[in-house]
Amino acid sequence: MFMTFSREKWREGGLLLPILLFLCIFFLIPLAGLLLRSLTEPTFGMQNFEQLLATSTYVQVLSNTFLVAALVTVISLVLGFPLAWCITLAPRGWGRWLLSIILLSMWTSLLARTYSWLVLLQTSGVINKVLMSIGLIDQPITMVHNLTGVIIGMSYIMIPFVVLPLQACMAAIDPMVLQAASICGAPARTVFFRVFLPLCKPGLFSGALMVFVMSLGYYVTPALLGGVQNMMLPEFIVQQIQTFLNWGLASASAALLIILTIVMFYFYLKVQTDSPVSTNTGA
Amino acid sequence: MMLLSQGSMGWKLKSSLYVITGAIAAFLALPIFFIVALSFGSSRWLVFPPPAWTLKWYEKFFENPQWMESAMTSLKVALLTSIIATLIAMPASFALVRGKFKGRDYLYSLFTLPMIVPVVIIAVAVYGVFLNLGLTGTLFAFVVSHVIVALPFAVISIINSLRLFDKSIEDAAVICGASRLQAIIKVTFPVIKPGIFAGALFAFLVSWDEVVISVMMASPELQTLPVKMWSTLRQDLTPVIAVASTLLILLSLFIMTAASIARRYSNR
Repeated sequence: MFMTFSREKWREGGLLLPILLFLCIFFLIPLAGLLLRSLTEPTFGMQNFEQLLATSTYVQVLSNTFLVAALVTVISLVLGFPLAWCITLAPRGWGRWLLSIILLSMWTSLLARTYSWLVLLQTSGVINKVLMSIGLIDQPITMVHNLTGVIIGMSYIMIPFVVLPLQACMAAIDPMVLQAASICGAPARTVFFRVFLPLCKPGLFSGALMVFVMSLGYYVTPALLGGVQNMMLPEFIVQQIQTFLNWGLASASAALLIILTIVMFYFYLKVQTDSPVSTNTGA
Repeated sequence: MMLLSQGSMGWKLKSSLYVITGAIAAFLALPIFFIVALSFGSSRWLVFPPPAWTLKWYEKFFENPQWMESAMTSLKVALLTSIIATLIAMPASFALVRGKFKGRDYLYSLFTLPMIVPVVIIAVAVYGVFLNLGLTGTLFAFVVSHVIVALPFAVISIINSLRLFDKSIEDAAVICGASRLQAIIKVTFPVIKPGIFAGALFAFLVSWDEVVISVMMASPELQTLPVKMWSTLRQDLTPVIAVASTLLILLSLFIMTAASIARRYSNR
């Protein structure tokens, strides 16, 4: 406030210079280079995209990526909903405990957790043993290096990302609205489906979009828990580069993934700003 | 009958909700407890519950120079990443919070973009450049690529603490005769320090736990702990990985606690 306008402006430029330089040189230019490669390697044209969308194995990878992302989104919504509801309901202390379990699982090393699932789910692993001892199955079922493994491992990772926005949304709902509905004679079921669930919609939407976007781009968990049969896009990209040195095809898939991510994220931001939660809390 | 207060909820609904929640919470906590327990188990084949408890996998971990070296590399990379990310994020946060220029929202989105773009794409893009420059497998490559993904966390944390700070206090110091820089160093900085500290911790944690980029940047000579874990995992499931995992978990827990204490302190 005590400086002339032009000097202030110059100072802001100076403050922003390091981050802008860094991101341009090491992030934006490499990213642009990668996207450009999808059009220029080996020759200029759309051949990489055509190949990607015409070869059945590659289409398989794409559809598998969407299948996994969709399944994981649905499962983490189904499991995350009661958890978020319970945190909202529970007395303060208990709610805190539940939240800290969620935060702990979110911030624990991804690799450590994935390794743990690898061990838990293996044929001679604890889960198979427990299932056999309670008589649910006679023979160990294969739960890793296939779709089941990926779905379990990924849903487990994504639940916190559903619970946190959903819980914030539920906490902002006025209980009086639900009470009003039941005073007017609505049975519990109707209150739930016609009043409570619609009010949770913004939280459900933003959680679901977040999980879907993140699932599309996940590498570590699908690579370790999945099999060759159900490869996902990120693993495909790395494989094309490291094993086949096929930068053109890898870049085309990367471009596809980026476009998908950014489009979905745009919707995510839309949902967020339109939600009653963010206007209520001023966030 | 209200669905948002437990007192008036039907007991059937209430109890089934609590049972389901308990099961899901257990599902979330299970892998963490399991891995810690396994690291102390005696069985090579990861039998659970283990026949006996032992520290031999810890001995194996600490005796093996490769594990120790990769742990030291991780520490070095994470420290450098955290320092550099904080140093770059700090002035930018000042400019974004204090500045009155157009396009601040766009800049904010740009700075947090590395959080949205899938890590695998950042990894591949940076790898392409560093491969051409012959820089893969260097400390420089590790730190630079980690700073990219750690920056958003530092920026968000510092911006949040700066937003909460009342600028008129700093202006008061200037009116009393301090220069703007003195006022920032002596008045503003001590107040927002917990936020900066938390940002640095999160940047550290992001780097410490980063797998995908590190796997691309690594060389046989230089690898971080997650890379060593990754390559070992591809061969077998030895309990030494459980030890490495437990150490990773401990550090995450420690940093998370430190960050939440710093945040509570800054929100006072």
